[in-house]
Amino acid sequence: MKEVIAIVRINMMNQTKQALTDCGIDAFFAHEAHGRGKGFVNPKILEGAEQGYEEAASLLGEKGKLYPKRLVTAVVEDKQVACVVQTIININQTGMPGDGKIFVLPISDAVRVRTGEMGVKSIS
Amino acid sequence: MMIMIRSIIRPEKADAVLAALMDAGFPAVTKYSVAGRGKQRGIKIGDVTYDELPKVMLMSVVNAADKDFVIQTIMDTARTKGKGAFGDGKIFVSEVEESYTISSGVQDTAAASGGVPA
Repeated sequence: MKEVIAIVRINMMNQTKQALTDCGIDAFFAHEAHGRGKGFVNPKILEGAEQGYEEAASLLGEKGKLYPKRLVTAVVEDKQVACVVQTIININQTGMPGDGKIFVLPISDAVRVRTGEMGVKSIS
Repeated sequence: MMIMIRSIIRPEKADAVLAALMDAGFPAVTKYSVAGRGKQRGIKIGDVTYDELPKVMLMSVVNAADKDFVIQTIMDTARTKGKGAFGDGKIFVSEVEESYTISSGVQDTAAASGGVPA
């Protein structure tokens, strides 16, 4: 089993949910989060600064601002990982910085509380 | 190889830790609010026990080679002045098998997070 953690734009949540459903992932967990990446300049601010807006120019040097994001976590079977990752990328990709990240972590065991089932059975 | 560092810290220390990580060259981080208790079972004030204390979770994925440096940076910044105090938080480290940048769609190598952007 693998844990897929995806950090996506907040306006992409509906598409991302649909994408997970298309992959056969019904169960997932979402969380509001704030984050920043490598610190690229916001293209809109850059554009504004080029047009001579002083406010935009003063924001140019600003680094480390946290942007609102959604953190989606799903525990999936090994064979589903490739499909999940590719679908989330396809749906969320705009090519601009800030599209988000996907991490894949190993999960050693899982339990369904209702029945006590362990392992792959508990997530299928 | 990459690792995920999840640190649970005091909310009032979050800004300082974020600034320290930025200065240390590890800008990429995700923050969310959590509530929890530690092995002191919360705080007892008078007759009231508070066992859901608000904390902030910081999540960052870095190159395994930078693990000790990042942990040290977070720890030094998040610790209460002097010897530290109960409730300063915890740091957990876990392996990340794969990492992808959505905007480019490519799988990241060890240089995924932290360091100077290419």
